[in-house]
Amino acid sequence: MGNIFRNILYQGRNSYRDKSFIFWILLYPIIMAIFFYTAFSGIMDIDFKNIEVGIEEENSIRTVFESIDILNVNITPEKDSIDKLNKGDIEGFIDKNLNLSVKKSGINQTIIKEILDQIRQMGELNVPFEKFDFETNYVIDRNQRANSIIILFYSLIGMVSIYGVFPGIEIATTIQANLSNVAKRMNISPLRKGEFLFSGVIISLLLNIASNILLLLFITYVLKIKLLFDIGPSALLILVGNLFGITFGILLGVSNKLKLNAKIILSIAITLVLSFFSGMMNPEIKVMIDKSFPIIGKINPISIITNNLYRINLLGNTSGLDTGIYTLIGWIAVLNLISYGFLRRKTYDSI
Amino acid sequence: MTVFKYFIKIALRNKGIILSYIIVFLILSIINGNTSYNKETNFIEKKLDIGIVDNSNSELSKELVSYLKKKNNIIPTTADEKHIREQIFLGIANAVLIIPQDFENKISNKVSAIELYKDDRTPEAYQVENQINKFISFAKATYEDNRYDLSMVSNALDESIEVSLVARDEKDINENTNTWFRIYFNFSSYIILAIYISVIGFVMTDLTSKEIENRRKVSSIKFLKFNREIYLGQLAIAAFITSIFLLGSIILRGKYIGEVDFAKYVINTLVFSFAALCLVFLINNITSNKFVLSGLSTILSLGTSFISGVMVPQELLGEKVLGIAKFFPTYYFVKINEMNINSLLDVKYELSMQLLFAMAFLVVGLYLSRVKLRNQ
Repeated sequence: MGNIFRNILYQGRNSYRDKSFIFWILLYPIIMAIFFYTAFSGIMDIDFKNIEVGIEEENSIRTVFESIDILNVNITPEKDSIDKLNKGDIEGFIDKNLNLSVKKSGINQTIIKEILDQIRQMGELNVPFEKFDFETNYVIDRNQRANSIIILFYSLIGMVSIYGVFPGIEIATTIQANLSNVAKRMNISPLRKGEFLFSGVIISLLLNIASNILLLLFITYVLKIKLLFDIGPSALLILVGNLFGITFGILLGVSNKLKLNAKIILSIAITLVLSFFSGMMNPEIKVMIDKSFPIIGKINPISIITNNLYRINLLGNTSGLDTGIYTLIGWIAVLNLISYGFLRRKTYDSI
Repeated sequence: MTVFKYFIKIALRNKGIILSYIIVFLILSIINGNTSYNKETNFIEKKLDIGIVDNSNSELSKELVSYLKKKNNIIPTTADEKHIREQIFLGIANAVLIIPQDFENKISNKVSAIELYKDDRTPEAYQVENQINKFISFAKATYEDNRYDLSMVSNALDESIEVSLVARDEKDINENTNTWFRIYFNFSSYIILAIYISVIGFVMTDLTSKEIENRRKVSSIKFLKFNREIYLGQLAIAAFITSIFLLGSIILRGKYIGEVDFAKYVINTLVFSFAALCLVFLINNITSNKFVLSGLSTILSLGTSFISGVMVPQELLGEKVLGIAKFFPTYYFVKINEMNINSLLDVKYELSMQLLFAMAFLVVGLYLSRVKLRNQ
């Protein structure tokens, strides 16, 4: 037990002295969060802007349009209408014959058209006006904010929770005699590789979780975006994500003879691609992939963490959590088995 | 040309980085391609994506569903509230409605009947609610002798006004196709910068390492020749990478290039690539640490893309963000892609800004390399 504690202490110190560790695990996620915040904070809180409609002053329909909440009526003489449409000051112009001119097709133009359609359709229905009841609302409002942009932040948390991949690679490299000098010495000493590996996993887990907590604190208190409302299940996901990251790192470390730097770059590329698929650069990509290749979202570890995090915290939906956790544990088991295959009974005739 | 040959050889050793970026980029461009390419000559009503769960299956509800189908795209959904909320949250559906079993009863008693999931802050939410209420009000207006005259309602709802599309100021451009090209080229700036910094940067760290430096000093090759071949190598690799993206657009959407301002995209991409190459030159004179380079490659390429409008349109970004973005060529590159122009003169300012940045990067890079030489 004493050995394990000593190993944990030394490996921890080692990691903290490593500049690449500090950068990728501590600084990089915070820099990304700042990028997301600067670029997307304006989009996250959208407001319903009224639709600007141009009508001539003497047009009889003007009062009807003025009574509609979502429209802003601009008194516009017909001769100025094209100029105003081109400049984007108005989105539609209604002439005295109730014809509509627009610059492009879009939702706001369609809404104006639909209102004009309705006036014509009421005439076509040919029933007395008093039979129309526009006072009753037949709809029960079930408001749900659409906020797919916030997925970027959940995806970022998903990505950094598997950043245990870096210390994982480092541990694996440190115990292979053909890759590191420490391992050469370890091989001829009574130090047990298993113990070293175990303590490496523990310290990586602790350090990466600490960096995850730091990122979450930064997002919550500095950027003032609250992401975690249901802490328990979220923490469990992040913890399993961390374990996955470390086992994945160990596999990357033991499965090839690439240099440490090359392995780190490879792992950055892989995590970036996986995060990309989970919606970290643009949530529409996640939606597109869920539609075209749903299997990717179900097996991609970062997608599993991202999807469950926003479902748990913003939609109060924990239904996919079990499957997600089991899939991640499945991954961990498979990766561990493969790594074990690479590591077991490894001897060196000469180095 | 030994140096040039080895430059290319080492660069191609990083084919993993080049290939992974390009493959992901091309896959996304292909997925992004599932849109319409018809030119907008008439006004087209915006169809919303809505999901419908009809638990009533009555004559009235069926007619409502068929009216909504005519006006919108119907997407598959389920009666599971959690699933519906996620569809709205992600923007997969603009609205989802659940028609209750006792729909007709509720309507005749003037009771709110249809559960409508939507984001109240959007115009789409207003549109769907309006369509539903309009249909029901029309149906109720025809209610006589315990029945609705739904064929009359349907005929009335088929009526619509004429909408005219005012003439555009700009060139005759197919906007739908143009959107694909715009997204493609905007996004290529991110990949071009990332690949340039990592690949060219990595080769430079190898070629400027102390060992190589010492060997060069004792060899017969002149410093000028050595540098000239290195820059030629950088230019060749940069041209190779950029031409992949230009060719990619021709392969994926070649038959549409006549409908957009393709020359604008090509010239803009070439100018941007030059500015990016000069930025790489500057970076290589600042650091030759591979770890710093891989960090810079990710942060600079992603960072400038986020603040310059590659990931989200520039009009949605805040003024302060755009203010910072103006200090990077990506901002001007994206701006040109977003504009419809009559001639290149319309974007002379944006093109010259990119070239000015290129010059500035070069000058600072040259200064730093001189300082380094002097220190040696």
